[in-house]
Amino acid sequence: MKKITRRAFLAGLAAVSAAGVLSACGGGSETASTAASAAGGAASAEGGHKLTAYAWDASFNIPALNAAAADYKANVDPDFELEVIEQSQSSDVENAITLAASAGDYSTLPDIVLFQDHYIQKYVTDYPDAFVPVEGADIDWSGISEEKLSYSVIDGTHYGVPVDNGTVIFAYRTDLLEQAGYTIDDMTGISWADFIKVGEDVFAATGKYLVSMDGDGNDLIYMMMQAEGQSQFKDGEPYITGNDTLRQICEVIVEMVQKNVCYLANDWSGYINQTILGDMVAGVMNGNWIIPTIRQVPENSGKWEITTLPTLAGGEGYASNGGSSLYITANCGNVDLAKAFLAYTFGGSTVTYDAALRDGGVITTVLACGESEVYNEGVEYFNNTPIYKQIVEMGGNVPVVEQSDYHYRARTYLAAGLINVINGANLDDELANAEQQIRFEMGL
Amino acid sequence: MEAPAKIGKANHSTIQRRLIPAYIFLIIVAFLSVFPLLWMISAATNTSLDVARGKIMFGSYALENFKNLITQQDLWGAMKNSAIYAVVQTVASLLICSLAGFGFELYHDKGKDRVFAVLLLAMMVPQVATMIPLYKMISGMKLLNTVWGFILPSLSTPFLIMMFRQNSRNFPLDLMQAARIDGLSEIGIFFRMYVPIMKSTYAAAAVITFMNAWNAYLWPKVVLNQKAAQTMPMLIANLSAGYSIDYGVLMMGVLFCSIPTMIVFFILQKQFAEGITGAVK
Amino acid sequence: MKANHGTLLAKQRRAGWIYLMPGTLLITIMSFIPIINAVITSLKTGSSANMKWSEPITYNYTRMLQDQLFQRSMFNTFLYLIVEVPIMLVLAMLLAQLLNNHDLKFKGFFRTCVFLPCATSLVSYSLIFKSLFATEGLVNTILVNLGILETNYNFLGNSTSAKIIIIIALIWRWTGYNMVFFLAGLQNIDYSVYEAAKIDGASGWQTFWKITVPLLRPTIVMTAIMSINGTLQLFDESVNLTSGGPANSTITMSHYIYNNSFGQGVANFGYASALSFVIFVMVAVLSFINMKVGDKRD
Repeated sequence: MKKITRRAFLAGLAAVSAAGVLSACGGGSETASTAASAAGGAASAEGGHKLTAYAWDASFNIPALNAAAADYKANVDPDFELEVIEQSQSSDVENAITLAASAGDYSTLPDIVLFQDHYIQKYVTDYPDAFVPVEGADIDWSGISEEKLSYSVIDGTHYGVPVDNGTVIFAYRTDLLEQAGYTIDDMTGISWADFIKVGEDVFAATGKYLVSMDGDGNDLIYMMMQAEGQSQFKDGEPYITGNDTLRQICEVIVEMVQKNVCYLANDWSGYINQTILGDMVAGVMNGNWIIPTIRQVPENSGKWEITTLPTLAGGEGYASNGGSSLYITANCGNVDLAKAFLAYTFGGSTVTYDAALRDGGVITTVLACGESEVYNEGVEYFNNTPIYKQIVEMGGNVPVVEQSDYHYRARTYLAAGLINVINGANLDDELANAEQQIRFEMGL
Repeated sequence: MEAPAKIGKANHSTIQRRLIPAYIFLIIVAFLSVFPLLWMISAATNTSLDVARGKIMFGSYALENFKNLITQQDLWGAMKNSAIYAVVQTVASLLICSLAGFGFELYHDKGKDRVFAVLLLAMMVPQVATMIPLYKMISGMKLLNTVWGFILPSLSTPFLIMMFRQNSRNFPLDLMQAARIDGLSEIGIFFRMYVPIMKSTYAAAAVITFMNAWNAYLWPKVVLNQKAAQTMPMLIANLSAGYSIDYGVLMMGVLFCSIPTMIVFFILQKQFAEGITGAVK
Repeated sequence: MKANHGTLLAKQRRAGWIYLMPGTLLITIMSFIPIINAVITSLKTGSSANMKWSEPITYNYTRMLQDQLFQRSMFNTFLYLIVEVPIMLVLAMLLAQLLNNHDLKFKGFFRTCVFLPCATSLVSYSLIFKSLFATEGLVNTILVNLGILETNYNFLGNSTSAKIIIIIALIWRWTGYNMVFFLAGLQNIDYSVYEAAKIDGASGWQTFWKITVPLLRPTIVMTAIMSINGTLQLFDESVNLTSGGPANSTITMSHYIYNNSFGQGVANFGYASALSFVIFVMVAVLSFINMKVGDKRD
């Protein structure tokens, strides 16, 4: 008897919940699909005043896009509207292009996408129909950092309009340097050999590493190479074995790790959370987009300052890492508006760039925009030094080096090789191995 | 009357004493199973820094983490999407797969058995292999970012069909014949007889399907590329993909993502166990 | 009369076909057509928007033989398979036998506890384990406080310990799930067999190997196929727990295929499809062997 009642009860329960479920899905699926269709098929219509864009960082590049939209609306077209569709990470934008191009249907794309500089060459080569060149836009290209444009100009055609500046900074905790008996000036223009000596002293005095990096996606090699004016690629092929500069740089990194000068975290979140926010380091070397991360620790305000990179032979080094530009997609229904908007704002509007710096910490690559008042102000967190002006100036000195579609693949294999060397493998073997893997992927 | 009871009691305590190692083992396993989940709950109440430093005790930061979570991400939107996808998929899958299992077993003949053997092969098709062709297909049907785009590929699974097919072995065929004589149509037999009799199999299938749909990550990431359509696992992946990760907020998200599947399991666990029983015969 | 009976039968047979049609068609469209599609794609190269027949036609397959990273991913995947699946299945069977004991109390509580891990999503539990085993994480804190470790150990930064953690995570996530199947299987076994064994003085361990394991053979075959299938397609753990690192030492085959389809600016769909097809064949062969071995002793 008891059993039957329980069964009956459960059957009733199942029926009730099934009914609830059915009614929920009836109403719900409708809302889901309408919400999706409202956001999807995103591009503009001809003659309108509205554009859509993909971007991925709510505290960095999205405020910059919003700043540009406000600028254009206030000063050019009062009806203008830009809808920024947030993506969770830059690879989401890349995947959206890959998938749309593979399906041969670009209608899922927005008018404009923000795209990582290092990937754009490969995407334009692989999917030439996915992008519309920005040729004919009213932009003075000569006023923009040459190194930055070397990514978005493909076979002599301008495809993108630069947004942020990837100039590498070396930020140091001056208070920790002082404890070891050094100043920021001692760190400017030194050689990596001297840097290691300072690093050992700093570690002995404070227990902090002088630099850290994500060991899995190790950007140190690329940045240090660019500061030497060199690349891991030559004439479209990997240039790893027989590249003496690269070999020396790898040796420097291994030595730094072994002498507790450099800490390699397991992954990106370890690099950010453990080493930088976790106060493990006395120095940070990366693209200047790392600054908002450094600033997340309020206790260290006023203790940081920035300078250039060390080099192998000594002397100030300049490099660029990361950064992205805006591209018009094949799905854009109003190319003229998109071009006019990009040219007016990111092409050289001080209003846009001042607001982008203020709201998102995005630094311009348009040299003239780096001279505004906002850029000349001292930044309290960095001991009241005018770091933004400094960075724009540094950006003008970054040497153009050979880029490759396989930049990140090279980074991955070299990073893996370095970890193996640190764990005892032979450097030359690992370099040869990395070169072989990259050549393999390139189909050489 | 009293004596046997006493013996029973003595026996009982010896048996329980013999079971002590079993209890110890089970307690350890149960603890290890639940511990990471308890830690997840505790982490959701702590600041990011405390979580990263391995704090074990509960903190007082839960409300703050929750507030940050709902300002950073569209939590309710994602919960709603996930719930819709999972519920629609569960209901639709159960209907389609049980109907197929019913057809395969209760009307079985050589031809149908052969078709079934071929279907089993589909179990071995890796998800990554079909992702790109499926994307093209779904995109061609203009179903990107819709509930159907999400569920179509996993609506019918060989596993569920197999489960219903195996469980139907116990279905009383005489009753079916009797019902036919009483004038019940074939589809009437399915809805009026099969569904009520097989309810514990349905419960087991519902738990498994709901969990799979709720937890799916790879396919939704490909097919739902609009923010408005994102699911809970995608939201969690977003929380862990930023430049810097707030672990407290992340664990709060993980907690929200885990609650619905646990509730479904708690509600259906008794029938779940019964429903599985037939499947492994 | 006979004719009438015949048409009735035919009608029923047709009804059967109609019922199994939606499910069968869906599987055909959503699994078989895509895999055939993948086989065709695997014979092509080039950008995914403009693919050409490869030259020679087997290019993507011969390429695999030289691909060290693919071979490493295969090695890792099989390592996870060989180490994890037996431990997990034996553990699941042991737990099932213990929980099947009629004298045991709090059965429901234990069963729920052991099953709970598999209610958490793959993304969630990967992140939970990643945080637990972080250098500054809880496990390190506990081990250092207990004096087992002197300084915090970078579990996920060492290729051996990272692999072990993936295996531990897999065991944690899936043992309860498999246990439920074994428990169900045991309920089909007459409990008096166990009582008899007890009277004969067999120890729990003997009962386990002599009675439980043989009687559960059909269930073992099924759970083994499910586990082999799942492990060979392992993806989320590799992506979310270790990102395949350090130095690609924990990457799985599915993760490698994903990287070839979407990772880091590479969209080599032809090669990715060839790799997928190889996994499909491997899973099918292993499942087939498993079924044959499982059936043999019948």
